[in-house]
Amino acid sequence: MHVTPKALREIAATARIGLADDEIESACRDLNLIIDSLEPITRYDLEGVEPTFHPIAGLNNVMREDVEKPGLTQEEALTNAPATQNGQFKIPPILGDNGGDR
Amino acid sequence: MKSLATVLQDWEAVIGLEVHTELTTLGSKMFCGCKIEYGAPPNTHVCPVCLGMPGALPVPNRAAIESIVLAGLATGCDIEKHSMFYRKHYFYPDMAKNFQTTQGPVAFCMRGTLDLEVLGASAGERTHLQGTTPLAREEGYLTRIGITRIHMEEDAGKLVHVGGESGRISGADYSLVDYNRCGMPLIELVTEPDLRTPEEARLFLQKLRTIYLTLAISNCSMEQGSLRCDGNVSLRPRGSEKLGTKTELKNMNSFKNLHDGLAYEICRQAEVLEEGGRVRQETRHWEPASRRTISMRSKETADDYRLFPDPDLAPYHLSDEFIQRVAARLPELPDARVARYLAAYVLNAADARALAGEIELARFFDAALEAGSSKLAKPLANLLLNEVSAYLNTESVALAETRLDPQHLAELAGLVADGTISSMQGRQVLALVFARGVSPAELVEELGIRQVSDTGEIEAVAQTVLDNNADKVAEYRAGKTKLLGFFVGEAMKATGGTANPKLLNQTFQRLLS
Amino acid sequence: MTLSPAEYASLSLGDIRTGLDRRHFSARELAEAAFAAIEALEAGRVEAFLSLTPELALRAADEVDAQLAAGSGVADIGLLAGVPLGFKDNMNLLGSYTTCGSRMLENYESTLNATCVSKALAAGALPMGKLNMDEFAFGSSTETSSFKKTHNPWDLERVPGGSSGGSAAAVASGMLTASLGSDTGGSIRQPASFCGVVGFKPSYGVVSRYGVVAFGSSLDQVGPFARSVADVAALTDAICGYDPLDCTSQDVPASFSASVVAGQSDGIKGMRVGVVSEYLEAPGITTEVVLAFKEALRHVQDLGATIVELELPNAYAALSAYYVIGPCEAFSNLSRFDAVRYGFCVEGATNLTEQYELSRAQGFGLETKRRILLGNYLLSSGVYTTYYYPAQQVRTLITQDYRRAFEQADVLLTPTSPRTAFRFGEVSDPTSMHLSDIFTIPINIAGNGGLNLPVGLGEESGLPVGLQIIGPQFKDGNILRVAAALEATYDIERLAPLSGALSGGAA
Repeated sequence: MHVTPKALREIAATARIGLADDEIESACRDLNLIIDSLEPITRYDLEGVEPTFHPIAGLNNVMREDVEKPGLTQEEALTNAPATQNGQFKIPPILGDNGGDR
Repeated sequence: MKSLATVLQDWEAVIGLEVHTELTTLGSKMFCGCKIEYGAPPNTHVCPVCLGMPGALPVPNRAAIESIVLAGLATGCDIEKHSMFYRKHYFYPDMAKNFQTTQGPVAFCMRGTLDLEVLGASAGERTHLQGTTPLAREEGYLTRIGITRIHMEEDAGKLVHVGGESGRISGADYSLVDYNRCGMPLIELVTEPDLRTPEEARLFLQKLRTIYLTLAISNCSMEQGSLRCDGNVSLRPRGSEKLGTKTELKNMNSFKNLHDGLAYEICRQAEVLEEGGRVRQETRHWEPASRRTISMRSKETADDYRLFPDPDLAPYHLSDEFIQRVAARLPELPDARVARYLAAYVLNAADARALAGEIELARFFDAALEAGSSKLAKPLANLLLNEVSAYLNTESVALAETRLDPQHLAELAGLVADGTISSMQGRQVLALVFARGVSPAELVEELGIRQVSDTGEIEAVAQTVLDNNADKVAEYRAGKTKLLGFFVGEAMKATGGTANPKLLNQTFQRLLS
Repeated sequence: MTLSPAEYASLSLGDIRTGLDRRHFSARELAEAAFAAIEALEAGRVEAFLSLTPELALRAADEVDAQLAAGSGVADIGLLAGVPLGFKDNMNLLGSYTTCGSRMLENYESTLNATCVSKALAAGALPMGKLNMDEFAFGSSTETSSFKKTHNPWDLERVPGGSSGGSAAAVASGMLTASLGSDTGGSIRQPASFCGVVGFKPSYGVVSRYGVVAFGSSLDQVGPFARSVADVAALTDAICGYDPLDCTSQDVPASFSASVVAGQSDGIKGMRVGVVSEYLEAPGITTEVVLAFKEALRHVQDLGATIVELELPNAYAALSAYYVIGPCEAFSNLSRFDAVRYGFCVEGATNLTEQYELSRAQGFGLETKRRILLGNYLLSSGVYTTYYYPAQQVRTLITQDYRRAFEQADVLLTPTSPRTAFRFGEVSDPTSMHLSDIFTIPINIAGNGGLNLPVGLGEESGLPVGLQIIGPQFKDGNILRVAAALEATYDIERLAPLSGALSGGAA
């Protein structure tokens, strides 16, 4: 399974990483090199083997009680924001892409 | 465009709903301790977790899990003991992590049902009744709606679009983000495509809302957005089994909009199909002002959300004990309440359903009956469904916010029932109870209003009325017996509404015979 | 009575405890000596720090001194009273920038304390500053940091390893008594090996991950660097335990130091020590590493332990599984860097997508973008069932291998890295870089603990060689016990020769 430049453009677009045309080819090469190294995974017969999504066996039902806790002030929340207005995070217009809806 | 009734003669509408409900009654968000409050200043109920700050980790709220299990039990779902949270990825600025924590193929609640009783005019919208059960002694039918699943997830923040065309996303100069709502516990219920008319969809949402309100898991305000509903609609020719292409309908933020949006979309699709066109798979936005749906986005290609189990959150293995503990908290549900009312009181089915459908009225009704005799059921129901509801509507308040308490209402119903005051006086007293919060009996005393039930007094008034209307008396005697009402009315006028109407009736009948 | 930088550089945690108790020096003197050592060795030499936090350190030192003055004993103040400690720059510390070695977070001010940080502070540690790392911990040499290259104190022409290269180099050079790092595929153990210090990655779940910027959420684990086994044990005791803010943290007892005492006093006689012979034929493994490993086995036998030959049939697939799971989790975790709430933001984007794409293109470095793209690809529909899901199934097999192996052995020994520290730029293509982690990665896949113990200098390179001691999951005490016993059989200088500059009056 290899990634084509066309597929990579799509992958970069959904990951919101802008790639210049001249970066596509080398990124493709790097990715395919790594994908080749993943081959051992595909050789297994894994019929009936349960996946391990969490490395601690038996970890389950971890919850907290429904208790309100102080969070950040508005000022703290906005400290690191590139742009703000009236206590909110300010962003450029959303449209211009497929972002009108989810 | 053809009317809905005409369209539904030839086409069968297949409707499914997705209902999002915020668990507004909880004390904190889904994965952090931030407060849940509607309308707070922007970004004041936020923390590193719900802002998706680097390094922050989620911890699920136990009460939210209990709430969704409660919702599942109340809608006949199987509670899945083994499930996980997944991450659903898409970039959108109202989502702090650019993934939503939600559930995967297995949700906490799967395979439920909700039975809808569709009556009167609502029933009339459905032209073909196959698959439904007729209701005994009533005009209408019963239909069972499948619930695919209810899953647990987190809500997104709120966007405000500035500039351009009045708050619209298109043409905006920029947007502002408030994350107060981000991370609110949200349950999403998905129905099977079992609904056939917009009216059924409306009734389904209404019934679901009543159930959730009964469970006290949400305030279910469509206005505030704590209850939101999307619809999936497709058409197929009558008799066909094959599903047509569906569109997804959004922004139906009231029961009326849900109905009207679906009705419009059904008619629109019929027009497209009848003109030989093809329905495009897309998301459409209902615009109540212009009463139409507009296309928002094509969904011809399936979305790829890169769903995978959230490694930060432990899997769930709910124990029988956990589920039983939640089940023990299940209150009486609306259907059971209707059955109880019909069995215990002299009430008609419509009144029983109307009361059970408004949890606040139903609870008040139960409390009032606890304070008074069960014989008062009918007058109490009448008072609540008419005078009290009218007051709440005009004043736009909730019952709990008024000064009326169940004891007072029972007392008032008793005063009317035993003839101490007339029902007209009863209305007058009720208005004063709302205004001053005092006991009706005291008010009656204070105002000195009493229903005139003294036969001598009544007879004197009646005789005066008859004396003043000799011509009408003659007409009555000639056979125009309908004039009895006129005489009673005149007598009531003369006594300022204080005369006992029953006695008046009897007296006039006697004097005129 | 003042403490010289050279004296400071040789102190262990125990020395600090004694020195404070006996009033040989104050916590403020410790902090000042540490900053003097940093002044002497950092700029133009080791370059381990991304930021220094002298105000925080001095305030913490004064608090310790005030408590001492009020009559508290060092033990009452905490396990780390007065210990100059540095944090990898993916650990949030209030009052500091947390950059993750990335331009993306160049100006990011922490809004919280990571749990490991707050526990260390509560134990009396002095927060000295934040340490360089590979960008978002993607790397094995600290070369992918957006800001600077950190130099190996044993040879400034060489890398310190990574991704916690700054944490390892600062301790090896004597600038810090101890530091914290994080380990997703070897990021504590490998730089500890390259820099000749002790680095310990406890079992997944022993230390809370809250506040540590995530790379691979099911692989990441926090752990300490120091110049002795006893010191890393004390550090682990101070930062371990259940944290209500991290669902995956575990309620483990703080008994790591006790295991060290057991190793020192009772030894390891009768313990079963596992080895996997074929590991010594791993690709790229150097002769000096094999020799040092065999010598370590002789030490083990001399101590009366039994060597047991073990098999880990699925270990060869661990690297592949890691390069699926790691990037997938990283892709997801790094989605939040979108220039809306924080982070590098391009100027003048005309719409949001453009702002997203350009900010992420310019804010992230090459290796980070590579992993995000890889993870996004591996999670896409159709591909998910080819790699991601099978990788998690293979993870089950690998975990079972270890479980079975640890029925026959109390610990497992491997080299930490197939080779000693390499020169800058020497290993550049991603796949050969990954090979330097072949011994460490499987442990993260299985969730076990592992420790790097320096076992001397390579015969050929003259650079530190490390031994990895691995334990059964949540039996990290076994690791520390063996490490402590084995450590006593070596007479090794843990401070890099560079630290000699401190006594040369460079300050």
